[in-house]
Amino acid sequence: MRISIQHLTKIFPSRTKGGEAVHAVEDMNIEIPSGQLVGLLGPSGCGKSTTLFMLSGLESPTSGKILFDDQDVTTLAAEKRGIGLVFQNYALYPHMTVEQNIRFPLDNMRIKKEEGNARALDAARLVQIEDLMSRKPNELSGGQQQRVAIARALVKMPNVLLLDEPLSNLDARLRLQTREEIKRIQRTTGITTVFVTHDQEEAMSICDTMVVMKLGVVQQIGAPQDIYDDPNNLFVANFLGTPPINIFKGYTEGGKVYIGGEAVAEAPASCGYENREVYVGIRPEGFIYDAEGAFTLRVDHIEVMGRDKSVVSVHECSTKPTVRSIIDSDVMLPPDAETLRFNIKPYKLFLFDAETEERLR
Amino acid sequence: MMEEKETVATLAETPKERNKPGLGARFKREKAPAGGDGLTPEGPTLSRGERFRRGLRSQSGWLFVTPALILMAVFTFYPIIAAFVGSFQQQYNGMTGTFNGWGFDNFIRVLKGDTGTGGANFVQCLVNTLLLTFVSVPLSTLLALLISVALNSIKRVQKLYQTVFFLPYLTNALAMGAVFATFFKIIGTPNNTDTVGIVNIVLGWFGIKPIDWVGLQSPHWQLGKLNIPWAKYIVTIIYEVWSGLPFKILILFSAMQSINKQYYDAAKVDGASRWTVLWHITAPMIMPQISYLLVTGIMGGMKQYSAIVGLFGETMGMNYDMGTMVGYLYNYIGLGQTGYAYAGSLILFVIIMIITWINNLITKKRTTY
Ligand SMILES: Nc1ncnc2c1ncn2[C@@H]1O[C@H](COP(=O)(O)OP(=O)(O)O)[C@@H](O)[C@H]1O
Ligand SMILES: [Mg+2]
Repeated sequence: MRISIQHLTKIFPSRTKGGEAVHAVEDMNIEIPSGQLVGLLGPSGCGKSTTLFMLSGLESPTSGKILFDDQDVTTLAAEKRGIGLVFQNYALYPHMTVEQNIRFPLDNMRIKKEEGNARALDAARLVQIEDLMSRKPNELSGGQQQRVAIARALVKMPNVLLLDEPLSNLDARLRLQTREEIKRIQRTTGITTVFVTHDQEEAMSICDTMVVMKLGVVQQIGAPQDIYDDPNNLFVANFLGTPPINIFKGYTEGGKVYIGGEAVAEAPASCGYENREVYVGIRPEGFIYDAEGAFTLRVDHIEVMGRDKSVVSVHECSTKPTVRSIIDSDVMLPPDAETLRFNIKPYKLFLFDAETEERLR
Repeated sequence: MMEEKETVATLAETPKERNKPGLGARFKREKAPAGGDGLTPEGPTLSRGERFRRGLRSQSGWLFVTPALILMAVFTFYPIIAAFVGSFQQQYNGMTGTFNGWGFDNFIRVLKGDTGTGGANFVQCLVNTLLLTFVSVPLSTLLALLISVALNSIKRVQKLYQTVFFLPYLTNALAMGAVFATFFKIIGTPNNTDTVGIVNIVLGWFGIKPIDWVGLQSPHWQLGKLNIPWAKYIVTIIYEVWSGLPFKILILFSAMQSINKQYYDAAKVDGASRWTVLWHITAPMIMPQISYLLVTGIMGGMKQYSAIVGLFGETMGMNYDMGTMVGYLYNYIGLGQTGYAYAGSLILFVIIMIITWINNLITKKRTTY
C-alpha cells in the first residue's frame, strides 16, 4: 500500500494554562511507495512516535492529510485502517498466552476458529516462535516478546506495518540479529513498513528510505547512503555516521576553504569567495595521510582496531573535544609523531552556513 | 454494610496483591542488581560490640510484638478455645456454671433448629447469610466495575469523580441506613397509601400497589420450615450493593488508572470492541483487585449483622426471619444459651474456613500471570 503524508501537523495543547503548546510534528510531507521499508529517524522527542500514532489512527492530526493508496484515512478509526502496530514496549497482554495474544486481532474480526488457528500458527512460524505458543509473555525473553508483538501485528495481514522503536529493549547482539529479521519479514511479506528509531545505524542498515526528523520537522528524505553522502544540513550530517562527523569552524576566501589558516579544500562556487564563516564537516574516513598534506592535526593518541586505525587528535577549530580520522591499517604512520598532516577527500567534506547551518553546495 | 471499615485496615496492611508491582510496572524491564546484593554484612570483620548490637536488633522485633501477642492471647485465643470447649458442654447453666456431660448435643439441636427457646433458626440464618452474601457481593463488585470503567473513560473529570464517589464512603453508615430505610417504609397501616416511601411511590406510577418492604406485613414465600422473605431480601441486597459501592469503585478505579494506556491502544488497533476490552483486558488486568474485593466482601458478608439490625430492628425481621449467622450468636448469647452460640460459632468458623479455601484456590488460579 502506498502511503502519502501531506502537510501533516500535530500540536499538543499545553497542559498548563498559558504554557506553550508542543509542536510535535510540523508540516510533514512524505510519499512512501508500496512495499518499502521506511525509517523515521531522529533524536528522542522529535515526533517520531506521534507520526506513527497518527498513521495508525491512535492520534488525530491537528491538520494535514494521510492517504493510503488513494483513500483519505485521516479521520478513519484505527481498527479500520488495516494496520499492524508494534509498540515500543510491545504491549503484549500479560494475562494471555502467546497464542491468545496473536489470535486476539483475529477473534475481534470474528474469524472462524480453525482459520484463526491456522493463521496464528503461520504468523508464529514467520517470526519463529511456534514453539512458544502456550507461554505467557513474562516467560519470554525480550527478543521473543518482540517477535510475538510482530506476529500479533502481522496476523491480520495488514496493509501497513508500523514499528515503534522495536529494537530499543533488546541487547546489542539481539538488536543486530532482530533488525535483519525484521528486514527479512518485511521482504517476505512485502508489507509497506514504517519503522521508528533514534539509532541511525539501525535505520541506515535496513531501510529503503530514511526520513530524518528534528523537533517535529523533516530534515531530509532519501536512501540512507544518499543522505549520508549528501546531507542537507549540519544536523543531518552530525546525526548520521559512527563515529560521527568532525566539525570545524572555518571560513572561505579566494575559492578555498580554510580551517585555522590552512586551506584544506576548494570551496564550491555557490558560496562565493568572499570571507564567509562556515562550518566544515569532514567524515572520519575522509582523511588521507600525507606528510605534505594540507591539514595539520595534533595527535592525542591512536586507536588500533585491526581492520583500520583511528587517529584521535585535537584541533583548536574543532567544535568537538576530539577529531577522529580513520586510516587503513596498512598505512604506515611515523611513530611518536606529535602532529600529522592529511589531505581531505573532497566528497567527504561538507560546508554549512555558520548562521543557518544549511549546506553550502 | 459488610464490615468494610475493617477491610480498609487490611488493605493498608498486607494483602498480597498490594505488594506486587503495579500492573503498569510490568512494562518496565526489571534489571537484576549487578554483582552481590551489598546487604550481607561481612561477618568476621565485625567488632564484638557491633555484633552484640546487631544481635539485639535482630531479636528486638519480639519486644515490639509482645504486647500485641499478649492482647491477642487474652482477647482472641482464649475466647476461641473457650468457645470450642463450651460448644461440647451439654445444657450448660450460666448461673451455676454446671453442665450435663460432653457431646454433640448442642450441634445437633442447633442444626435441627430444636433449641426450645423461641430464638433464631440456625438453618434460616445460614441460608439468609449465604444468599445475601453471594448475591450482593458479586453484584456490587460487578456494578462497581462497570461504574469504574465508565468513570475511567471520562478523561477530564477523573480526579473530581474520584472524590465524589469516595464521599459516601466517609459518611456515617447509620445515617446512610436511616435514610435508606425511609425509601422503603410504609408508615401507618399497609393500606394507608398516603404515607409510603419513595420506592412505593415510584412503583405506584406503574400501578403496583405499595409493598410493605421492611415491616411486619412484608411478603414472603414458605419453603417447608424455611422462610424466604423476598421483599426484605431485595431491600437488604440493594442496601448492601449500594453501601459497598464507594469502596469498591475506589479500589477498582485506581487500579484501572494504573493500567498502561498502551494496552488500550493495542486493543484499539486490534479492533477490540468496548465489551471485549472490558472483559478481555481491563478485568483480567485488575483481577488481583477484583478478587481482593470478592474475598473481603464475602468474608464481610458472612459476618453481616449490623445492617440487618439497622434495617429490620433487633428481632431481625419477623421471628428472626432475616437473621444472620452472627445475629444467631448474639441472639443465643442474649438468651443465656451460650452452648448453642458456641456451637453456632464453630459451624460458622468451619464454613468461613471452607470458603476461604475455595477463594484461595480460585484466586491463585486466576491471578497468576
Ligand atoms: N500526549 C501528549 N501530550 C503532550 N505532548 C506530547 C504528547 N505526546 C507526545 N508529546 C510531545 O511531543 C513531542 C514528540 O513526542 P514523540 O512523538 O513521542 O517523540 P519521539 O517518539 O520521537 O521520541 C515530545 O516533545 C513530547 O513531549
Ligand atoms: Mg517514541
